[in-house]
Amino acid sequence: MNVRSQIAMVFHLDKCIGCHTCSLACKNIWTDRKGTEYMWWNNVETKPGTGYPTKWEDQEKFKGGWEKKNGHVRLKSTGKGRIVTNIFHNPHMPSMDDYYEPWTYDYQNLFNAPEGPDQPTAKPISMVTGEYIDIESGPNWDDDLGGSPVYGENDPNFAGLTDEQRLQLFSIEQLVFFYFPRICNHCTNPACVAACPSGALYKRGEDGIVLLDQKRCRAWRSCVAACPYKKVFFNWFTGKSEKCILCYPRLETGQAPACFHSCVGRIRYLGVLLYDADRVEETANLPQEQLIDGQRDMILDPGDPHVIANAKKNGIPDSVIKAAEESPVYQFIKVWKLALPPHAEFRTLPMLFYVPPMAPVMASRQDTGALNSVSDNLFHDIDDARVPMKFLANLFGAGQEGKVAYALRKQKAVRWYRRAVTVGDVDLETAERMLREADCTVSEAMAIYEITSLCTFEQRFVIPPMYREQAIEALKDPHEQKQSAGFGFLSGPRRGL
Amino acid sequence: MISSANPNSQCCRIGRTLQLAMSFTGFFVLAGVLRCEASFAQETAAFFKSSCASCHTIGGGRLTGPDLKGVTERRDREWLRSYILNPQAKINSGDAYALQLLEEARGVVMPQVPGLTPEKVDFLLDLIEAESALEESQFKGIQVSMEPFTPADVAQGMAIFKGRQSLSNGGPACMACHSVPGIGGLGGGNVGPDLTRVFERLQGRVSLSAWLQSPATPTMQSVLRDNPLRPDEIHVLVALFEDTAKNGTPVQVTVAQLSFLLLGLGGAVLLLVAFDFIWKGRLRAVRRPLVQAAKL
Repeated sequence: MNVRSQIAMVFHLDKCIGCHTCSLACKNIWTDRKGTEYMWWNNVETKPGTGYPTKWEDQEKFKGGWEKKNGHVRLKSTGKGRIVTNIFHNPHMPSMDDYYEPWTYDYQNLFNAPEGPDQPTAKPISMVTGEYIDIESGPNWDDDLGGSPVYGENDPNFAGLTDEQRLQLFSIEQLVFFYFPRICNHCTNPACVAACPSGALYKRGEDGIVLLDQKRCRAWRSCVAACPYKKVFFNWFTGKSEKCILCYPRLETGQAPACFHSCVGRIRYLGVLLYDADRVEETANLPQEQLIDGQRDMILDPGDPHVIANAKKNGIPDSVIKAAEESPVYQFIKVWKLALPPHAEFRTLPMLFYVPPMAPVMASRQDTGALNSVSDNLFHDIDDARVPMKFLANLFGAGQEGKVAYALRKQKAVRWYRRAVTVGDVDLETAERMLREADCTVSEAMAIYEITSLCTFEQRFVIPPMYREQAIEALKDPHEQKQSAGFGFLSGPRRGL
Repeated sequence: MISSANPNSQCCRIGRTLQLAMSFTGFFVLAGVLRCEASFAQETAAFFKSSCASCHTIGGGRLTGPDLKGVTERRDREWLRSYILNPQAKINSGDAYALQLLEEARGVVMPQVPGLTPEKVDFLLDLIEAESALEESQFKGIQVSMEPFTPADVAQGMAIFKGRQSLSNGGPACMACHSVPGIGGLGGGNVGPDLTRVFERLQGRVSLSAWLQSPATPTMQSVLRDNPLRPDEIHVLVALFEDTAKNGTPVQVTVAQLSFLLLGLGGAVLLLVAFDFIWKGRLRAVRRPLVQAAKL
């Protein structure tokens, strides 16, 4: 057993209101530089929709992630032979049009326009070419438009849906959507790290954050093609790739990442997971239907004395182990099994998990005109939800409806139970029966209720001390650095070597 | 006492050091001079080979220029020096012997050899004098048989010209820079002159052979300096050049260039088609096709 610690995340989609505050917090801190205009390390997508970049989930086009060939995972986008033939041209790169051409507005015209018959307008200007442009798309172009004929209908997660289900989804009164905020998943088996020919990408040993060394990046852009979530971006000005750094400077000083901190709906949870690094390869190679369970097995119980002993043997500090025990993320993922990895079939073993959203019910009125809220099947509204289970299963269940249904039923049971306790308009007996059917105990329901509805800042973000100084000492001798540090100039990344 | 003794002894020490240094310097200067003597002789011989031997032999008969055996006995040093330094001036001055030489050479004026100084000329004349005294000079030139060439010789010459048969000392194929008729529609290289009529230009078999053995132009000198042609290779190349001078007409440069251009364009198109096939699975636009499909 090779115990490692990993900062992991849970996004509770049932709470997301799609306000994009996270995206803006990130943009203002990290990607308001020249060359990063089009980048959104954090973005919020409307589902159904094609997302950003357009149809990023369609690996037939983008060739991201891993695929199983001859019983072993291989990168889909590149390989030892193919990197030679594609050395001057990476054939799977998204173009700027697939992201969007970033723009600003000619605000000066509002003040300086010569007098004329019409009101002056602020025309959009490309932030790349500086020319006036007609805006054709943006990073959240189909925001709140779950049924739009161009973007909504082309969501790759509709694979496997019957025509009837599709028709239902796009009929005018049944339209439905939910929000899907995305950042880098800081995967345990990252395709970007595997693809980089320069060795510029690495997974930080002490917390598993995946970072890109700006000094070693040689602009091959293999990471951009390899990442199935399209969360590595190429900076056209510096000639280096960039990605979400999980605000590690904030984490190292005990603060939550900017997008977590600013989240209005408080949907985001962050904490430490302990996992067995020896089982990463084996887990990534599992058959698709076992991937989610396999990943859960790979994550270790921080309360198990055997795990703790092995963690200590690997040099994981006691404070980190303690943080792992208190981690809300561990509960969501492994204990309650509410949180699921996005597109586990990409086999990168992402460390960002999603609690699938409850969806509005298919309206079915009784003859009396009242909404039918009770039926013999207590979970009928989950089975009859407007978002077909198959769609959610494609997104979060690696195609298996069971995993998603389990999480939704448990959420529904907790809600029903709390309704019985707080409001009292439904009877407690039924509620407890629902809990039993949803594989949930009363204490578990209370815990889920607490962390979902009443959570404080400290409960949501259990940030361990990062011991950065110790991590550095493993690689560099501070006494050697002492005489050369503290004087001189920092230089930003530049094109070339 | 001590203060007065010290400077004296120091003086002595400096003096001894100087003496030692001077004797060392003297040794090195002497050694240097001796070495220079030896290398001057070598250098002069090399200079003769590269700059004179293409037109002159010593005891091997005349090429373009006269045989230089015993030339220092035929004319005095003063005349020779001034002629060698500037042949054209000597001819223009109306010197009778210079005009006679011009006639013997069928109007070819001896070129002014770059880098010659009066001292170098003296070294050259010394060398010629010494070599003339020998039974057989090293500058006797190659012995060219006057037998008629066979078609096999011409064929082998062509093989060497085209690079089918590589030169034994590693020289580059002639075709890289030169052209003769009969090497295909694209012709040979355009860097060097067309060699169709070189046999006539260099006045026949003997001079052409001598030229090939020790070329007179700086370009060919640098090409063949470290990898000279062997006599049998010279023989077949001369055979080729005699044949082309008799039978061939030079390849027309414009036609060759046009076909080269067309071939290049065709190749480029073929490559593009091949690239498109090899990378047919590459990512093309994603968003735009969606929008276009929706508009239909």
